[in-house]
Amino acid sequence: MFRNLLLFVVAALALASGPAVAKVRVAASTNDLASIASRIGGDEIEVFAIARANSDPHRVEALPSYMVKVSRAQVYLKVGLGLDQWAGAIIDGSRNDKVLLVDCSKGVPVLERPTGKVDASMGDVHPDGNPHYWLDPRNGATIGQNIAEALTRVDPAHAVLYRANAESFAKETAASYEKNHARAARLASKAVLTYHRSWSYLADAFGLEVVATVEPVPGIPPTAKHLALLVQTAKARKVGVLLQEPYFSAEAGRFLVRQAGVRVVTQSSACADITAGSYLAHFDNLFDALAGGTAP
Amino acid sequence: MRRLLLGVVAVALCTVPVAANAGVTNPDISLIGQPLIHWTDAAGDPSRKRPVLDAGETEIVFDAALNPYARGWATLSFAEGGASVEEIYFTMLRGLPAGLTLKGGKYRMGFGKLNMVHPHAYPFAERFSVLAAYLPGEEAFNETGLQLSARLPAPGDISLTASIDALQGDTFRILRQPSLALNDPLAIDPLNGDRTAEPRTAVLGRLSAFLPVNVRSGVELGLSGTQGTNNAAAATRTTVLGADVKAKLWTGDDSFLLVQAEALKLDREEAGWDEASAAYTTTSIQPLGGYLFADFSWAKRYDAGASYESFQRPTADKTRDSAFGVFAGLWLMEETTAFHLEYHRFMPGTPDGAIESPDAVNSLRLRVIFSMGPHKVHQF
Repeated sequence: MFRNLLLFVVAALALASGPAVAKVRVAASTNDLASIASRIGGDEIEVFAIARANSDPHRVEALPSYMVKVSRAQVYLKVGLGLDQWAGAIIDGSRNDKVLLVDCSKGVPVLERPTGKVDASMGDVHPDGNPHYWLDPRNGATIGQNIAEALTRVDPAHAVLYRANAESFAKETAASYEKNHARAARLASKAVLTYHRSWSYLADAFGLEVVATVEPVPGIPPTAKHLALLVQTAKARKVGVLLQEPYFSAEAGRFLVRQAGVRVVTQSSACADITAGSYLAHFDNLFDALAGGTAP
Repeated sequence: MRRLLLGVVAVALCTVPVAANAGVTNPDISLIGQPLIHWTDAAGDPSRKRPVLDAGETEIVFDAALNPYARGWATLSFAEGGASVEEIYFTMLRGLPAGLTLKGGKYRMGFGKLNMVHPHAYPFAERFSVLAAYLPGEEAFNETGLQLSARLPAPGDISLTASIDALQGDTFRILRQPSLALNDPLAIDPLNGDRTAEPRTAVLGRLSAFLPVNVRSGVELGLSGTQGTNNAAAATRTTVLGADVKAKLWTGDDSFLLVQAEALKLDREEAGWDEASAAYTTTSIQPLGGYLFADFSWAKRYDAGASYESFQRPTADKTRDSAFGVFAGLWLMEETTAFHLEYHRFMPGTPDGAIESPDAVNSLRLRVIFSMGPHKVHQF
């Protein structure tokens, strides 16, 4: 009797709840792509990111647990330009032959594309150009368009929503750009040092000048000679700030604080999480930190 | 068996649609050098107690997508003994039903966690002796075969994978010493009396699970088993069973502890010849052994660890040998150059009836690993 009652209740609940509305499952290499996807897809998608905000996006271990997650995804958002090469192993390992792979760099004006022969004597250089393009909010709008087109392909029923969200997001990125461009103009010094060449797009967008990098060439830690040169450069160019990610060694920064009087601003190049507002909030946080208003 | 394998591979590669212009670009090509300095006090070693410079093994790795569904790999190995094709295989990653993947060619077998890894990726200098003693093959358990692999349903983000390999089985072959009997087939035909050249199919199965501990850390558990015929005429078999565990636990943004262990059981039937009955005889040896190592990596470019192994020799008296080692590594620049230093002490057991215990063998090895091309020295 009790069993029959239980079965009846379960069946009634199942019928009452109606058919579940399947959301589009989106996997992204980084928080920034996932955050933009959240903004474009809204309630129609479920999204997750693989690289953590405070870890080096160049180096992510292709864990089987990531492969399991990607095996359930309908869309994979890739940074491209050689940054997330590890994504290939995860996608291959996911055994998901239906996932739509989206290179979000499509349509982005790429900076620092090397000319001539590229080899390892130049360090960990990206042959297709600098891949940190999401750090220009104007490129965020292009990423949003790419994501909207991908979501439209896998879920045409909500194409109007995705395209409308991409358009409104583009306006938000333009507003963020204008606001933070004005803040950048008020910085005491626009000359900055960066640890890695990850901030070129930010500098290009907001009129900052990266006068030198702590890494003599990408991926190679500084030598004493190079640090001495940085001290000279920082003093000569009146550099106020060293901008670096938390996953790089703090040793060089401490040296430059002592010897050149720069202030170290430790900020991730990725936004904090995958929520819809996180991507643009990251620019506000960056300029808070550059202006010295918020402790990193 | 070989014809069957080739047939299946050909059918698999031809039944997926391939773009007409696929395969027009060059593969990724990497070269990995491993020169070393070695010192040992092993009795009988011609360079005993003298440092020896050795060019080591050099690998050239080719890797490319064959089409949207498959990738190809080839590893050529060059050492003092000559050149060889260490691996050459394709992997069909897409296009098969139920998420199956297919791998075919010559490749390092996925038995346990270490056999499939190329030596340049070890944190220590050489693979464990227990693997050399129990697994088929000389340098590694490396066979020609065809593998089907599937991910099985599992809760949450647990990855549960099963694979089965049909192998050519040549590495299982054991050449029997001929007896003094005149009717011993090997006395009659020393080359092929035991049908030495005859194909002998072998199989390998593996079940492995990855259990995430948190977003970066995880534990992998695996069970492996392989069986093949070591003497075709006597129908004697070699069976190896193994259980393995690997835990990679991140202790900070740039530091992690890796602990890995394998236990192996060998069951090898050995063929003999009985003159009176004019028939093969079979004896069986069933030794046990295993290894354990722990490696701590920090600041992206340093690691240090220790290893231990203990195993019964695959002989009738099952003498137990053991060894321990301590090792350290330094990644000099990015992922392209690494130095590995290891001290190793091998402690041979005392065979039954022996009067004196054999001396322990100490060795010291400094290995430099450098890579040119996209295939890096690994962990960074």
